[in-house]
Amino acid sequence: MVCVRQATFDDLLDIQNINAVCLPENYRLNFYINHILTWPRLLHVAEDNRKIVGYVLGSLDEELSYCHGQIASLAVLRTHRNRGYATKLMRAAEQAMRDVYGAGSVSLHVRKMNNAAFCLYSKTLGYK
Amino acid sequence: MGGPALPPKENNLFKLIVKSYETKQYKKGLKASDQILRKFPEHGETLAMKGLILNCMDRKAEAFELVRKGLKNDLKSHVCWHVYGLLYRSDRDYREAIKCYRCALRIDPENIQILRDLSLLQAQMRELVGFVETRRQLLTLKPSHRNNWIGFAIAHHINHEPAMAVNILDAYEGTLEEDFPPESERYEHSEMLLYKATVLEEAGQPEKALEELAKKEEKIVDKLGLREHRASLYLQTNHVAEAEEIYRKLLDVNPDNYLYYEGVQKCLGLAPNGGIYTSEQVQKLEQVYNDLCKKYPRSAAAKRIPLDFLEEDAFKAAFEQYVRPVLKKGVPSLFSDLRSLYSHPRKVEMMEEVFLKIVTSLETSKTFPGSSDVESPSTYLWTLYLLAQHFDQRRQYEKALSYIDQAIAHTPTVIDLYLVKGRIKKHAGDPVAAAALADEARTMDLADRFLNSECVKRMLQADQVELAEKTAVLFTKDGDQHNNLFDMQCMWYELASGDSHFRQGNMGKALKKYLSVEKHYNDMVEDQFDFHTYCLRKMTLRAYIRMLRFQDHLHSHRFFFRAATSAIRCYIKLHDSPPKAVAEEQEAVIAGLPAAERKKMRQKLRKAEAKAKKEAEEKAKEEIAAVVTSKGGKKATHVSRPVDTDPDGDKLLHVEDPLSEALKYLRLLQEHSADALETHLLAFEVYFRKGKKLLALQAVKKQLVLDPSSPDVHRCLIRLFESLDKQPKPDSHADEIIHNVIAMERASLKELGSKSLLDVNRDFLEAHGDSLKHRAAAAEISLLLSPEAKSEAIKIVEDSSEDHASSFEKQWRATSKKWMASQGLCSCTSVVGDFFQRCSCCIKVVSTLCGIVPLFNIF
Repeated sequence: MVCVRQATFDDLLDIQNINAVCLPENYRLNFYINHILTWPRLLHVAEDNRKIVGYVLGSLDEELSYCHGQIASLAVLRTHRNRGYATKLMRAAEQAMRDVYGAGSVSLHVRKMNNAAFCLYSKTLGYK
Repeated sequence: MGGPALPPKENNLFKLIVKSYETKQYKKGLKASDQILRKFPEHGETLAMKGLILNCMDRKAEAFELVRKGLKNDLKSHVCWHVYGLLYRSDRDYREAIKCYRCALRIDPENIQILRDLSLLQAQMRELVGFVETRRQLLTLKPSHRNNWIGFAIAHHINHEPAMAVNILDAYEGTLEEDFPPESERYEHSEMLLYKATVLEEAGQPEKALEELAKKEEKIVDKLGLREHRASLYLQTNHVAEAEEIYRKLLDVNPDNYLYYEGVQKCLGLAPNGGIYTSEQVQKLEQVYNDLCKKYPRSAAAKRIPLDFLEEDAFKAAFEQYVRPVLKKGVPSLFSDLRSLYSHPRKVEMMEEVFLKIVTSLETSKTFPGSSDVESPSTYLWTLYLLAQHFDQRRQYEKALSYIDQAIAHTPTVIDLYLVKGRIKKHAGDPVAAAALADEARTMDLADRFLNSECVKRMLQADQVELAEKTAVLFTKDGDQHNNLFDMQCMWYELASGDSHFRQGNMGKALKKYLSVEKHYNDMVEDQFDFHTYCLRKMTLRAYIRMLRFQDHLHSHRFFFRAATSAIRCYIKLHDSPPKAVAEEQEAVIAGLPAAERKKMRQKLRKAEAKAKKEAEEKAKEEIAAVVTSKGGKKATHVSRPVDTDPDGDKLLHVEDPLSEALKYLRLLQEHSADALETHLLAFEVYFRKGKKLLALQAVKKQLVLDPSSPDVHRCLIRLFESLDKQPKPDSHADEIIHNVIAMERASLKELGSKSLLDVNRDFLEAHGDSLKHRAAAAEISLLLSPEAKSEAIKIVEDSSEDHASSFEKQWRATSKKWMASQGLCSCTSVVGDFFQRCSCCIKVVSTLCGIVPLFNIF
């Protein structure tokens, strides 16, 4: 059962776990706590049968004078690819940035070699 | 202030010390304090401040010494007490810190800085009543500060007085201007309003909450949060029409959030009762979801949810429609999506029929049944893949392997196939093959950490620890596997690693890993400290409350549960078979040698020990040197790595009283996982060994409440009373009281009543004669109660009826027969180990066996 929803506190340990399993950039739990306490609406998870299988951490760039969002981290378990989870997570994050904070733009970093991610951002989601 | 006041020059220096401390200019502060101390070497407050600064420079022992000295010289100084409290706080000794702050406040009761520090500690330690009082004082002293109002309200809220909290928030709002907030504070004010609605809801006033939200709507920024909360409140106040409208609007924005679908169902009175739908409900639901699917054609949830409530033919038809396009697309997670359906045996049969029909049709005509469109080859591939997982779930491993092998032969480049094959192999009891397959998958995409993690996991499951560590290192920062995985709190790795060491009998290393997990949880509890101030500043109040509640039940999380239960098992093992001291082991080796070689061997061992010690010291020095050089370039807040004095867990292994250590973790389990049967099974094992009869009895009683028919519970029950029956008559008054209590409890337990233990066992066997696991338990107990009647015990296992045994049980039976025949002797651990290797069964069997082995050690 696919479900994309806002992350709750109880999801944080699972988010950390997915990050540790899938990505080389890892964080201690207080990073996630800090994140959810600063921008509670910008964390989303994808859930399959009550098990977290993906997440997105959005944030705001506080240094700029205009409201600009950022995608800090995104990961979906490899076993759950090709289902559109990443797209849905990204759209949920963008929507929240728009609705809650009135952000007009959003940016992110991606490795050039990471083809799948690059296609997701440039082709599917329209990033330049 | 106590002691004599400082002359003006020194007074200015003192102010400089405080400023330097606050701006982290520690060298400057030290210099100033030394200047004062040259003239006034006993000045309490200067000594204390110097200590405080030293503490920030990681010179903790000196710091404490100086502060204590300063305090002794000037007991009536609130500064000294405050500093002492700060030191304890930095040492995480919060209880002592609170005491110090209280002393400071007795001297200077209106000191805002101290009050603020105290309030943080009280929040951290959940001293709720004190927290409320402190925040009240802060508000009284400085009502112009927004945070003091909010802080006071929050204190009431977490002290279970939401109504009081609302009053405070109302009063706060009363102090604000009409046009508040300014642009820069819109978000914070909005959060406060939404928070207030939450508190009203918790105070049991959902209507008032709705009123508030309506009144203040234009000042609320988080429109999505507003909508979600409103919908839930409308439901609570029975305004189902309004609620439904909102949920449907929410679905427009995100038709993949099943919480919104649940909301709609509740509004229409179509929520399940205890997971079951009536047939009328099902009819209506069908219609509702038909409409929703048309409205949101790209929503997977709208198509999937009906599979949960449909039955029989309607289910079968919808299921086939659901599965086809997904197979066409080639989605690896389809099976995972369907897994919840497998708890309904009738649905499982229907799913299998559908799968087999599809696969046959694709094989023969490359089309779906009843269709003339030719499918691409990948559709067939993913169907094979799905079937493999299906039969794996049904424990029919040969069939599962056959399908996955067909899939691999069809398209060997698809990595997911190897992952599934590995999974099947593991379930079928061949973890080594599983690891090899995971490694093959890993090599097909070396840039993917997921594959690396999966491979490491499988290697650990196959007890290939060194290989696993080498593989994990490929993705850790700076190639420092051990430290990096620990720093990043990679608990999945630590648990898998610990399990492997446990299986191999290395209790020390296993404990090391399990206790790492426990340390992470301690760190997580600590982490919240800074957020008490942070959240007040950011006004993310709803999130803050959730954080506090999250922290309160942090230790019920599954990683901690596993770590704690596993650590307890290690300690139980260490108690039952204590490790020989290293010297003893060496002596045993030496004794086995011919006389001429003994002296040489002793020298060799002594040299090796000295060398190892030297190497450890060198390494420690290196690490400290590295830390010192790196600290130079980093911020002052960098924490130096404490040297690990026990890398292989030897100290843990040789702990004096393993059962007392186990109790530490048991208490946390009892507090946070009281509903888990395992908690009480382990409680029994620990208390039983400690001779704590009443506590053991209490554990058994809790087990009976949770699962009276469990074979593990039956074992505990009989073992307890078998042992109690053998006890000599009580000779002291205290013992007599215990004896009487136990007799009373025994009479009240309906499983026992006044029956003899043998009868209890017979009744148990009769009641659960169909299940092999239960028969095995009954057999063990029979052997325990009448050790001479061995053939009778064996017969209990053998008589297990053929019809009722599942395939896994059949295998288990065959091999358990052999084992029972070997009379299950004391030193049967090797027999059991061997037996497990030969018996390709699931982990469940192992845990059952581990329950059996200690039992037979009693003989």
